[in-house]
Amino acid sequence: MAASLCLACATFGLTAYSQLAYGEEAPRLTFAQLVDSIRANFEVTQTMKSYNGKEVEIHGFIIPAGPPDLSFFLLSRVSAMGNYCCEVPVGQDETVYVYAPKGAKILYDPLRVYKVRGAFEAGPHTDPIYGVSLFRLRNARVEEAIGAKIFKPGDPPAPTPNK
Amino acid sequence: MTILTVALKYLRGRFVASALTSLSVALGVSLVVASVLLSRGIRQGFIEGTTDYSLLVGAKGSPTQLVLNVVFRMDVPTPNISYITYRELRDDPRVEVAVPVAMGDAYQGYRYVATTGGYFAAFPWRRKTFAISEGRFFRDDPPEQPAYEAVLGADAARRTGLRVGDRFHEGEEMAEYPMTVVGILRSTNSADDRAIFFSLASYWEMNEVSRKMKVKPLTALLVRPKRMSDLAGLHRGFNVAAETQAVFPSAVLLNIFNVLSLVDEVVAIILAFVVLLVLLYLFVSMYSATLQRKREIATMRALGARGATILGIVLLESCALAVIGGALGIAGGHGVAYLGASILAGRGGPVANLFVVGALEPVVFGSVVALGALAGLLPAVLAYRTEVAENLAPLS
Repeated sequence: MAASLCLACATFGLTAYSQLAYGEEAPRLTFAQLVDSIRANFEVTQTMKSYNGKEVEIHGFIIPAGPPDLSFFLLSRVSAMGNYCCEVPVGQDETVYVYAPKGAKILYDPLRVYKVRGAFEAGPHTDPIYGVSLFRLRNARVEEAIGAKIFKPGDPPAPTPNK
Repeated sequence: MTILTVALKYLRGRFVASALTSLSVALGVSLVVASVLLSRGIRQGFIEGTTDYSLLVGAKGSPTQLVLNVVFRMDVPTPNISYITYRELRDDPRVEVAVPVAMGDAYQGYRYVATTGGYFAAFPWRRKTFAISEGRFFRDDPPEQPAYEAVLGADAARRTGLRVGDRFHEGEEMAEYPMTVVGILRSTNSADDRAIFFSLASYWEMNEVSRKMKVKPLTALLVRPKRMSDLAGLHRGFNVAAETQAVFPSAVLLNIFNVLSLVDEVVAIILAFVVLLVLLYLFVSMYSATLQRKREIATMRALGARGATILGIVLLESCALAVIGGALGIAGGHGVAYLGASILAGRGGPVANLFVVGALEPVVFGSVVALGALAGLLPAVLAYRTEVAENLAPLS
């Protein structure tokens, strides 16, 4: 279980544009990019803000902090459920607040990586129900992500994150 | 005379067979509608009845048991945690609100829930609001000076018949500690309607074990963090500790939904076979009726009826049976679902309002009529191809 979780964590470094089932490409943001964009006073870089309002895709573990229809949940780099895996839980900088008004119809698995796509927002915001957040996805849709990519000998190296 | 009138006359002509065919369609449709409504109602009941608090802290054990007992008043309470855990959590800078809860006995099956006034407090992030319909809330009395004041949920008050000012206890050993009803809550459409609330001091004093304990026991803590992003850290902290666990109530419910989804899939397969059987029954009924009246059809053709008219009459007959069966089935399915929901609710199960207008009824009705047309298609073609000369030959 722990090994598969670590393997899943490793996929966060393997990013670029991704082809979705939704039919069109959307830029994928990684948690590493989100952390790099944070500046003093709870602000984020203009580069990150340039994604505001655009459809992006982020892969992470679902923390069901809201209602069980998953109309709101947290997307985190680290699973909250694995007590014995490699990393301690992360904070505001590596947590995306996801709003999915229609809910998410998935078979929930706390140790599985999901890809979430929605309208991105970066910068401090206070929601009357869910409080202060730094990164958000609105009108989100959720799909199960492929756990890890296997590179065979001779394959080109993993693409670098889209900055 | 229109082809619809002719089709209806044919159905009336073999009334018993038509009624039985419609009844079989109705039973099949009832089964589908009732299964879908109940499954949806139970799922929605869990969603609507869950807590507004994001985290639940209790003793090590089953997360499902903790959530079902503390949030839905089902199952038995998990073991106790120490009051010190509550004090530490209350003083944790990451925590906005922590509400202690102690679950104990019950009166006529309505669970005792000992807590503080904080349980009923309104916050901007809470969907659920508590209001008193009669009397007042109990006082947060100091330890060792319990007032034994109880506030009853709406259902608990209605079913037990207790009114404000009444005193009650259950079991001989509790005779020394009768509770006094000081308030009755308005309905919240949740498990709180079936609970009897009172102060922690009353709970500790009426229990022989906790009375002797210096550090008082609790069953669980409901936690709301200042920042939702701190939930994972709080969750991990309690789970790596030796005696406590923390659970996300929604995570537990999602796991229950996963199990329900498996059940739904099995039920869907069974229902698919039921639909197939009903379809076959309708087909056999129409087929045999067409075979039996080949002579009549040949007569109609001889008198000038076109093949398309004959085809239309048989198709309309089949559709009419499906319409009658579909309408009766939808009504019957709602009746069965209502009965099932009442039984479930009476046993304390979470079930939401089943009669929300949705796409189910028109989709089911449309599908039944389409399947009725499909079942009647082959008999209709058979009728269409009826040879006049062959079938009008004198009967030997």
